[in-house]
Amino acid sequence: MAQELLRRVDALGAIDDAFPTQPIVLTLGGTVREMIATRGRRPNHLYVLDSMGLPVPIGLGLAVGLAENPRHDHVVVVEGDGSLLMGFSSLTTIGLLKPKKLIVVILDNGVYLATGGQPTAASLVDFTAAARACGFTGVDAEGADGLRRALAEAKRSDGPTLIRVRVGTSTPPTDFFLEDPAVFGAAFTSWVRTP
Amino acid sequence: MTASTPIDARSQAVIDGIEAIDPEFVLHLPSSTLKAVVGHFLGQRTRRTFPIPREEEGVGILSGLVIAGRRAVMIIQDNGLGNLITAVATFPQAYHLPMLIVTARRGGLGEYNSMIHNVSERAEALLDAANFRYFELDHRSPIEEWKPTIVRAYEYAQITHRPVFLLVNLMGG
Repeated sequence: MAQELLRRVDALGAIDDAFPTQPIVLTLGGTVREMIATRGRRPNHLYVLDSMGLPVPIGLGLAVGLAENPRHDHVVVVEGDGSLLMGFSSLTTIGLLKPKKLIVVILDNGVYLATGGQPTAASLVDFTAAARACGFTGVDAEGADGLRRALAEAKRSDGPTLIRVRVGTSTPPTDFFLEDPAVFGAAFTSWVRTP
Repeated sequence: MTASTPIDARSQAVIDGIEAIDPEFVLHLPSSTLKAVVGHFLGQRTRRTFPIPREEEGVGILSGLVIAGRRAVMIIQDNGLGNLITAVATFPQAYHLPMLIVTARRGGLGEYNSMIHNVSERAEALLDAANFRYFELDHRSPIEEWKPTIVRAYEYAQITHRPVFLLVNLMGG
């Protein structure tokens, strides 16, 4: 019997456990809703609601901007395979700038889940090899334990690091998140800048 | 740089304006008309100047820098405005992040590319349709007004908590 894939919501829990006080940029769709539903609103979480392809560049800018900030040891981006493919050029800029604090976690379910489950091209793409080709660390993780180990190793090492983990397409029921981004965005900015 | 032609003088004025903002980071797309400006900042060690491969990626990186509280400016050409509209509308505009995007005009008098005018001549219309604020500098603007206008455009973005575009036409009109 084939082993069930890691649930996205469990992957999000592992990331939240590993980085409870570091900035985490969350990609749009179910990722934001599942994190809020299971972990609640967190001051260190930036919810990117509708900017497909942008979470990695946003996290890259944050990691570059916070490079000398002693309060923030890491900047984590939680990205999906579809959104990463829309902003794939950002891997080259990560390789160019090499921000040591940046950790990009790709939750690869192989589909555009939020729009009905159409397949992405991810099954044909070796994301970790792409990261290495761009000059930074790429790691494949498998299952919850593998993800936890990869996150722990990334915390101990200089980045940038890309971790790719396969996740399933099952999703818990969640409510829409309909708050004003100007309000929660300002709260995140204030939290980031607090000395 | 010696300002021996109108383009040289306008390039120097753009350099002076950005210098007065004193950004820690300068992000740039390739731009033939802003070649002297980009080259100036690439030659500096006091700021971090780096290329971005696509306009929308630059919007994301610039947004992250702004959230981190850093001073940054992005330099693009107007023929790339179509690439960034969704990115700007859904992130810095929606999240009230101030940023200045210095945008070189193409098309119009002095343009040599036979198709670039298709997008460049509609730059203002695109920005208006997207509800993005912009200011303009061209041959009608006294050269001594360029530097203070660039600084004021940056300050305007901070005051209004939104992205602001500054359209600069180095070729004239």
